Amino acid sequence: MIEVKDLVKNYGRKKVLDGVSFTADKGEITCLIGVNGVGKTTILNSIMKLTPFKGEILVDGEKVRKNTFEKITFIPDSTTMIPSFTIDEAMDFMNDYYEAWNQGRADDLLKFFNLKREEKISSLSKGNTAKVNLLLGLALDVDYILMDEPFSGIDIFSREQIAEVFTTHLIEDRGVIITTHEIHDIEHLIDKVVLLDEGTIYKEFSTEEIRETEGKSVVDVMREVYRG
Amino acid sequence: MNMQFNNRDPVYVQVVRHFKNQIAKGFLEPGQAIPSRRELANQIKINPNTAQRAYKEMEEEALIKTEKNQPSRVTSDEKVLQNLREELVGQAVNDFVTSVKSINVPLDDALNLVKRKYEKGDSND
Repeated sequence: MIEVKDLVKNYGRKKVLDGVSFTADKGEITCLIGVNGVGKTTILNSIMKLTPFKGEILVDGEKVRKNTFEKITFIPDSTTMIPSFTIDEAMDFMNDYYEAWNQGRADDLLKFFNLKREEKISSLSKGNTAKVNLLLGLALDVDYILMDEPFSGIDIFSREQIAEVFTTHLIEDRGVIITTHEIHDIEHLIDKVVLLDEGTIYKEFSTEEIRETEGKSVVDVMREVYRG
Repeated sequence: MNMQFNNRDPVYVQVVRHFKNQIAKGFLEPGQAIPSRRELANQIKINPNTAQRAYKEMEEEALIKTEKNQPSRVTSDEKVLQNLREELVGQAVNDFVTSVKSINVPLDDALNLVKRKYEKGDSND
């Protein structure tokens, strides 16, 4: 389980996160939702220790240390891979760099996404860049996957294909935290929503439970917050 | 398998409803094997935990049976199947009565309409 406790983050004088707490379980897909600038990416960056913060973050009950990152992978919303590499070279690079790299899973993902090994990172379309990002992250044998806006700025068919990953063995039993504002694409795929507003959590809920007890969709709840 | 979901009913409830309809209409036969939970999740693009929940619900209602290392199967229990048909007919009648009542159609007129429509067999289903 990933536990975020009382996370506070300021950028200069601006308070971005003001006491954010939530948990994300293994075997579940937890979705951080909020309008742009609400601090979703900052939360992921904090979990990965890419930015200093106040508060506490625990992974499987322990403070985040160097070897915690053998359990977590972070899939950013833009490519961090060297542009002149081909997909094959990128995979080799990951293989050299990470013990958790699983080539079998990478091959499955290549096939799943219909990607060509010999294609250069720099010549990929936006949709395929997003898919390669996912491939490089998901092929790692880790327990937790953080995805930052995997659907942002890509065509509907790529989005559909990416959403399909969530129902396959490629995610199976792992804990996923995903940020998005394209909730329509994944409304039926997520277990839990953490809805952020003005630096705090407006509501944390199970998607099936809110449908069952209140007859509301995720978008209904979002509308309450953002449209008043 | 093709399913359209609405966003306001629990997905597991919609999945169970879908299976009930399939069974009642005979598209799924008694004893027939159904997809595994993960296959179903993958086919209709829902969360695997939700597929799991739907199957659990159907097992509790004895609509499906799962034995170790075997695919889940539609029940062959005639009593369960009969109850299912009654449940679905009951629901359909309920819906019908609610909408007919709301537009103040007298019972006899409504029944006559049903009879004519039924005999002509030109419903949309």
